[in-house]
Amino acid sequence: MPSDASAHPLAQPGGRVRRIFRHLPLPGEREGGLLATLVVLSVLIAFGSHGALFTPVNMDNLLVSAAITAIPAIGMTVVILTGGIDVSTGSMLGLVAAIGGLAFEAHWGLAAVVPVFCLTGAGLGLINAALIIPGRVPPVIATLGTLSIFRMLVFLVTGSNWITEIPPSLTTIFIVTRIGPLPMASVIALLMLALAAFLLARFRVGRHVYAIGNNEEAARLAGIRVRRIKLYAYVLLGLLTGIAALMTLGQSPMVQTSTGEGFELKVIAAVVLGGTELSGGRGTILGTLLGTLIVELVGDGVVLLHIQPFWSGVLLGAIILFSVGAAWRPARSD
Amino acid sequence: MAFVELTGIVKNFGGVRALKGVDLSVELGRTHALLGENGAGKSTLIRILTGAHRPDAGDIRIDGTPRTFRRPQDAQALGIAAVYQEPMVYPHLSVLENIFAGREIANSFGVVQHAAMRRKVAPWLDRLNMPAALLERPMSSLTLGWQQLVMIAQALVQNARVIIFDEPTSILSQAETDRLFAIIGRLRADGRGVVYITHRLDEVPRIADRVTVLTDGRVRGSYPIGKASHEHLLSLMAGRAGQEPVPDTHGLPRPHRAPLAAAGKPAFSPPVLEVRGLTLEGRFRDVSWSIPAGCVTGIYGLVGSGRSEVALSVFGFLRGARGVMLLEGKPIAPRAPAEAIRLGIGYLPEDRKLQGIFASKPLESNLTANALGRFTRPLGRLDFSALAAAARQAMAAYNIKARGEASPIAALSGGNQQKGLFARWAARALKVLILDEPTRGIDVQTKDEIHRFVRGLAVQGLAVIVISSDLPEVLAVSDRVIVMRQGRVAGEWSAEAMTAEAILGAAIGARSEAA
Repeated sequence: MPSDASAHPLAQPGGRVRRIFRHLPLPGEREGGLLATLVVLSVLIAFGSHGALFTPVNMDNLLVSAAITAIPAIGMTVVILTGGIDVSTGSMLGLVAAIGGLAFEAHWGLAAVVPVFCLTGAGLGLINAALIIPGRVPPVIATLGTLSIFRMLVFLVTGSNWITEIPPSLTTIFIVTRIGPLPMASVIALLMLALAAFLLARFRVGRHVYAIGNNEEAARLAGIRVRRIKLYAYVLLGLLTGIAALMTLGQSPMVQTSTGEGFELKVIAAVVLGGTELSGGRGTILGTLLGTLIVELVGDGVVLLHIQPFWSGVLLGAIILFSVGAAWRPARSD
Repeated sequence: MAFVELTGIVKNFGGVRALKGVDLSVELGRTHALLGENGAGKSTLIRILTGAHRPDAGDIRIDGTPRTFRRPQDAQALGIAAVYQEPMVYPHLSVLENIFAGREIANSFGVVQHAAMRRKVAPWLDRLNMPAALLERPMSSLTLGWQQLVMIAQALVQNARVIIFDEPTSILSQAETDRLFAIIGRLRADGRGVVYITHRLDEVPRIADRVTVLTDGRVRGSYPIGKASHEHLLSLMAGRAGQEPVPDTHGLPRPHRAPLAAAGKPAFSPPVLEVRGLTLEGRFRDVSWSIPAGCVTGIYGLVGSGRSEVALSVFGFLRGARGVMLLEGKPIAPRAPAEAIRLGIGYLPEDRKLQGIFASKPLESNLTANALGRFTRPLGRLDFSALAAAARQAMAAYNIKARGEASPIAALSGGNQQKGLFARWAARALKVLILDEPTRGIDVQTKDEIHRFVRGLAVQGLAVIVISSDLPEVLAVSDRVIVMRQGRVAGEWSAEAMTAEAILGAAIGARSEAA
């Protein structure tokens, strides 16, 4: 029996400002911490690399790479918010790139190939959803299975050969074209992030995503279409992975059998680092954006500082352990 | 006429009849208390009324029209809402979002309209004395009592005509209970029907207009308040155990204890196991048990009374209890079950599937899992033929029905699994054996057999503890009974003195005090 059970519910101070802005996607404490981490990391890397961080070439690399991670990370955030996970994203990206690459080899026009990327991605997401929702396979197991199956299919589709006939127009569209200081890929990613943040925070369907992750049983009893919303989440992640695959080919115009390997870890790391709880029900798109930037900055910084590449994994792991560990401790003591 | 009319409701789960033809009516502007001990069928009845379960037989009429509920929303649409014992909440969402989850007010683009939701809930907040600022707080920052009020607000926003409260005060402090009762009074005055489920007899006259006693899936009586005395209601609740004589129900007459006397044992030898002033914050407080050898000590109490937690502390599974534990007069402080077992304490867990059997292993491995030391040969080799022989012996001794010692334990009936677990512990040289709900969900015949095995072990000189919320079982198998209530010892009876009414009364905190 809690001794303070009859205490007034407003006994603890609640900030007025926080209350007013609650429904706007403004930084909370978690996001503030991430922003601080981002700034500190940037300063350290900028000094360590004697300013190489801010050269135009490096900034473009960083921003395009961040866009490619951030777009599927939106879908991953939604999937994890519902209490699920998808670890097949890397192989999925490779398979979409391979199938789309074949379309390029067959000299299909760009207007015909873009839907191929989107629909293939959505279709592969649907396969994951079918295994998890009607198939009742736990999400980690189901997508671990498709992670290796999709990778095998990359070998089958490409016959283990490289696909190099990627039109340079992709690079022109996503990287060379700029709006202000930003390459087009980053602009597209930012627009998608803003739309997703608004959908999750203010739309009925977004609130249902959070409700499912908080208490699936209660959500079902409240008449929320749990199965349908979970289906949307996996298909959305597939679709966004398809778009990321297209941008990847703009960044480096060839498909190898290893395209996308390990990409899923980067995406999941970005989401988890951004404060989305793996148990579901809690997390924001703004957090995911900041998480993505930190993940990319660490990867870039390791190159700029001439550290051996495997250290980027160690560093990223340490940052995740530190930030997730710090976020979990107070939750346990409530 | 009554707004809700349930007639002849029957519900079976597997072979168990949870409800055996129950009638219940709820009138608007009245509070109807549903009284019964754990396992009486109260929760099942409520799940049927809220559409979470479908009855196997019987009629549901709402406002005179026969209805079938296919899912909870069907019942909600007709104005029936429930406030569950553990509030069904979304911890990371705000209070406002909790109230409207699944029923958000949104414009035609699907954008949620917080201002409109706040306006809609405002009049109900006044009614519940909830400050409006509460709406923006995350649900997880509220105490359980306030969360419960949020759930009431949710029912009111849905325009519920009938609100069901499932043991709402079990999680509340005294002040919160008083506040809840005032609110229930107001709901009733508003012309809503209230169903109030409880096992706390003393609450009933404070809030109810009518009381129905449910035991063992049947209605034992239904009275307007004031027409039935406290003592009468208590005896109805004890029903099964009090009115039907024990020997007939379980084939275990009290004289079953005769062998003890015949074996020439002193009635209560010095205690083998003793706990003194044991306290574990939030679980139990100042508990003293004295457990003698050669007899069965029954521990009776409702779920949540702390009975299993004390046992688990003795067994080294729960840690951090303050107080003294003595085994044969020597202080012990087991830090893990393995240590308790080495000291000679055995514990047969409450949940057979989760904590007892090794489901994917054959019967043989399950029977001998606790005694592998006896079958180990030099270099750690296991003597498989000796293992098989021991398993066959146990199967014969405990009448375990299976095709052979190699058949998987998961293929056996619950009763045979339980006998197997029992055999597992009996194979060890123990001083104290604790059995937690040893016959839950087991057919009457096997129950009987297990009771005989329990008595047999006691006769051999073991100190046996049987923890149970099945009152007839406690009466049938025990030489003495300790009653637990809300984390404390509420009374203690020897075989000659124990009656169903006294034990139940102490367990639920009724006025008639322990002898």
